[in-house]
Parts: sequence; C-alpha cells; structure tokens
Amino acid sequence: MTGAAKRKPQTHPSDTDLSQGEAKRSPAALRTRLVMLGMTVLFSCVAGQLARLAASPSPEMVAAITEPMARSYVRPDILDRGGRLLATDIEMPSLFADPSQVQGIDDVTERLGPVLPDLQQGELRRLLASRDRRFVWIRRGIAPKVAQQIHDLGLPGFDFRMELRRAYPLERLAGHVLGSVNVDNRGSSGIERTIDETIGVEPTLGAPSNAGVPVRLSIDLGAQHSLEDELASAMVRYESKGAAGLVMDVRTGEILASSSLPGQDPARASEVLDPGRLDKIQGGTYELGSIFKTLTVAMALDSGKAKLDTVLDVTKPLTAGKYTIKDFHPVGRPLTVSEVFLHSSNVGSGMLALAEGVEAQKAFLAKLGLMREMRTEVGPVAAPQLPKQFGRAEQITVAYGHGLAVAPIQFAAAAAAMVNGGRAVTPTYFRRRSDAPPGNRIISAETSRSLCGLLRRNVSERGGTGLRADVPGFRVGGKTGTAEMPGRGGYQEKSVVSSFLAAFPMDDPQYLVLILIFEPKGNSESGGEVLAGRNAAPTAGRVITRIAPLLGVKPDGDVATVLP
Amino acid sequence: MHPLTVSAAFMAISSAFLLYGLSYDTKQLEARVAAQERKADIARSDIAVLKAERAHLGRPDRIEPLARAQGLVPLTDKQLVNQGPAGEIRTGAISR
Repeated sequence: MTGAAKRKPQTHPSDTDLSQGEAKRSPAALRTRLVMLGMTVLFSCVAGQLARLAASPSPEMVAAITEPMARSYVRPDILDRGGRLLATDIEMPSLFADPSQVQGIDDVTERLGPVLPDLQQGELRRLLASRDRRFVWIRRGIAPKVAQQIHDLGLPGFDFRMELRRAYPLERLAGHVLGSVNVDNRGSSGIERTIDETIGVEPTLGAPSNAGVPVRLSIDLGAQHSLEDELASAMVRYESKGAAGLVMDVRTGEILASSSLPGQDPARASEVLDPGRLDKIQGGTYELGSIFKTLTVAMALDSGKAKLDTVLDVTKPLTAGKYTIKDFHPVGRPLTVSEVFLHSSNVGSGMLALAEGVEAQKAFLAKLGLMREMRTEVGPVAAPQLPKQFGRAEQITVAYGHGLAVAPIQFAAAAAAMVNGGRAVTPTYFRRRSDAPPGNRIISAETSRSLCGLLRRNVSERGGTGLRADVPGFRVGGKTGTAEMPGRGGYQEKSVVSSFLAAFPMDDPQYLVLILIFEPKGNSESGGEVLAGRNAAPTAGRVITRIAPLLGVKPDGDVATVLP
Repeated sequence: MHPLTVSAAFMAISSAFLLYGLSYDTKQLEARVAAQERKADIARSDIAVLKAERAHLGRPDRIEPLARAQGLVPLTDKQLVNQGPAGEIRTGAISR
C-alpha cells in the first residue's frame, strides 16, 4: 500500500456544502424526515392525552371500575353440639341500578315503593339522580319472591347481583349467642364476630364456595328451646319486664343454653341495635341477692372458720356505721351455718364474712374470678361493679349479694366451682374436649360436697326456699335470691330481680341452671309475692323437667314403680 | 430442495396442526370445567337453601307442639323402673 493510498482524502469546503445541499434536496431524505416528524407529532399527542388523563381522572371511570367490585364474605356454618344447623350462607339477589340508564326517577320511585315499602323514597331519588355514577346499591339481600316482583316491573337500569347472605333458620333462637353480621356478611357481634376474628372469612364475588369446617357450639338446641320457652312463659305468668337464664356443664364450663328476653333476631338489625334487647347474661351486671350466700358459706367452710353445725347468734341485727342489717324473716333464735343457708339469713351471712376478714373475703372473690373482667366467645362480659371501698358495711352486704354487681355468666362460672368438686371453670360457647385438664382448685372437694348437700336440702326439705324447683327423680339442689333493684333515692322495694341458682343431679352434679326474672309482679300465679321462691324457683324446676332427659340425666328410681 | 428442509417443513406444519388441536381441546375442556363448576355452584347453592329450609321446618318451636299433639312428653321418673331383686323387670304394660 502506498503513502498516497493511506492518506485521508481531503475534501474542499465548497464540495461539502455542495453535497449537503444535494441531500437536502433529495426526495427520499425529505420523506424520511417528514415521516419522523409525523410520528413525533403523533406520539406527542398520545403522550399528551395520557398525561391529561393521569392529571384529571374522570369520575365516571372511577365509578365504573370500583363500585361493582363490592363483595360479600363466605362464612362457615354454625352448628349446635349435636350438629344441627343454627346459621348458614345462602345466595340471595341484591338490587342495584345504573343511574345513567334509569328513566323517569319519579315514576321508578313510585313503582318500587309498594314492593319495597321500607325503602326511603328520598334516599332512592338522591341515588338515582347521581347520573355521574354507573352503579348504586338499592337493596341488598332481597327475598327471591320480592326480587321476582321487582323484575316483573321491567325497570330499565335496574338489575340483580347474587350475593351471599347469612340465614338464621331458627329465627330468634339463641339470637344473642349467634350475634349478627353486617351488610357485607362480616361478623359484627356475638359468635359471628369471633369467627371473623379467629377463623377469618374469605371474600367472594357472589358465587357460593367452600366455607370450610363448620363451627360447632356447645349449645344444645333442645335445651336452648326449652329454656327460652319457659322464660317466655315466666315473663307472661309473672308479668315481668324481662327474663334470662343459662344452663352450664359444671365440669367443662360449656354453655348448653343461654337466653335473655326480650330476645333478638340476628337477621333484624333494628333488634340487634335495640338497647332494650341487651343480652342480660353477659352484657349487664346485677346485684344477684341471696344466691351469693352460696359463695359466702363456701368461703367460711373452706377456710375452716366455721362448720355446718357452728352456731351463730343471728337474733340481733348487724350494724355498720349508719346502716342496720337484719333478716327479712327472722327465726328468733341462734342458727347453725346450715340453717343460715336454709333460712337465707342476711345477718348470719354477714357474720360469716366478718369472721373471715376483709382481705380473705376479697381474696376469695378474686379466686372465683368475680373481681376481674371476663371475656367469652360471644364478646366481652360486662365488667363487675365493685364497691369503691371494702369496709365493714361492704363486707356484710356482699356476703348476701348486694354491693357487688356481676354479670350472670360470671356468677355462674363461680357457682359451678362450688358444686363440681371445687375446680375453677371458664365459661365457653365452643365445644370443649372431654379430656381437657381440670381447672385450678378453688375450694376443697369436701366443702363442695357439703354445699351440694345444703343446696339439695334447700329444695327437698319442708320449709326450704327452693321447694318449688324440685323435680321428682332428678335430685335438684338450689338457692333462691331476691334482690331489690337500685333506683332513684335508693333500692326499690317493689322492683326486684328474682334469681334461682340450681344444679342437678346433686349426688354427682353435672349441670347448673341459673334463672333470673326481672321486676316480676306479685300476682295470683306467685301468691301475691315477688320472692324468687315463688317465681324463679318454679321456673327453674320447669326448665329442668324438660332439659334433664334431653341431656341424658337418668331419673332416680326413688319414686319409680318397682314390682317385686 | 434439500430433503432435510422438506422434512423440517413437514414437521413444522404437523406440529402447528397438533398444537392447534391441543389448544382447541384444552379450550373445550376449559369450557366443560367451567360449565361443571357452574353446575356445582348451583348445586351448592341449592343444598345451602335446602339445608336452611330443613332446619327452619325442624325448628323446635314447630316440632314440639306437633310432638305434644301426638301425646309425646319429656321423660319422667315414672317411665323407668328399677330392676327387681330376682332380676325380673316387670312394668305395668308388661304385666297387663
């Protein structure tokens, strides 16, 4: 290769200008540039439009994309302890509208009115007038028959979407226990809420799907119905303002039945939210009266400060500051501890508490779980109302069931330990394994046996306050309590809570029954009295008559016909 | 044309047909599965309604009056007897 060949060719400036001028004039290059320009303009337009859309989102688009995504939740079935259905999910139509397609709002509102009478017409007009929306719910969870009526109206812009809704086929039965769900089928109270919080629920767009393992409760459907039926009869019979009761397995703490009247239908939101239908079993606290003496006598016997035959001079009233405590039906002679229980002596109970001492009494109540807040699967239990100071007066009044207000379920748990051999139980609405370890010891087995004997005597012996609770063959034991209700200016003599604590069969207690009747009237049915022995005790007897066979308790043969 | 090229072209065309067939079958199967799932959903929905209806019809406040009308009552102590000393059980009904 020569040096000339290696040399870079030299171009004259005038030659370069010439070649550029030629290129500019070339039609191919011109076309290329035009296409590039066109594409640039085109893509700039697209980018500009995207930027405009991003900067100013259209409300119509938001409505169209987000609103139809409303979904309900799949819930497991709820069964009683025998596998009988208490709650389930079923598909139901929900009515929605596309306001932009609705014609003649006034006409539509007028035609829908008779089919959905509880629909607020003003609210419907407002919803249908929002033309910028493409989806508004009109009514969720409509009965199929009503949905057909709406369909037959042929209204343009209206349609149905199938959604899962909660059904309670037994209506009000165990309504307080089951609780309720909201419009999206999510639990808002009771067991339904606990299912959301513990097991969890899955969202769905309407199609039914596998909801998982059913939740099995400790409730026994037969016992629940019997309890509710007898409480409803008692409300009528004794003209009371309310009634409540529960049945508990004293060894496991399982609640077999729990009812508070007036009851609530879980499917009716208006009833669920009505404060007059409060669950009295765990939503309210009450001074329960003389059924508390069961605990006081247990405390005295267990500490060894008294025995069943220890004699107490109850002939004189007790004094505490300005207060004087005396018996409603004084016997007029000293009483043994057994007689204090059987005659329901306030003075005797107060003396037992005073002999025990403030700290020991408080410690015993704490050991029973009556001084702290409790929670069950149905929700938090109303916190106990404790006396502000625990002096002599409070010691005496608490001993006979005043001055300390607790929820009935909390008292029932404490009372169960008194008859089950002395072991603590935790109330539960879920089935508990039969091999679950026993609770802590609260009182000795001997004290528990002594109490069982006293409770049985109170029902079986002539003069016992619980005589009307006896059920032949089922060895019922129990204690009555009649507590005046607090009101303006102190306690109301005529306004009482009658209670009866029962257990059966007393030779080996298995079940506890607690009955409360709120503000009963003294009428011909109760011999003109409001005492628990005349209303709560016979109600407990009726309940036990019905539930004992259902729960598998064999009647004793003490009165059965035995042929030689 | 080279035989290898011909066979490769043949294989390619065959594979295309095969894949098309597979894809078509898959879509058909998917459609059948979807139809079966729809049927299962409907059946599940029907079962849920039937279960709820059965529970509603069998609710205790409906059954109890019917049972009582038939003369049925809760078990009482009078319906049981204790075994006699000689192991002989006789009730009023049997002795009649």
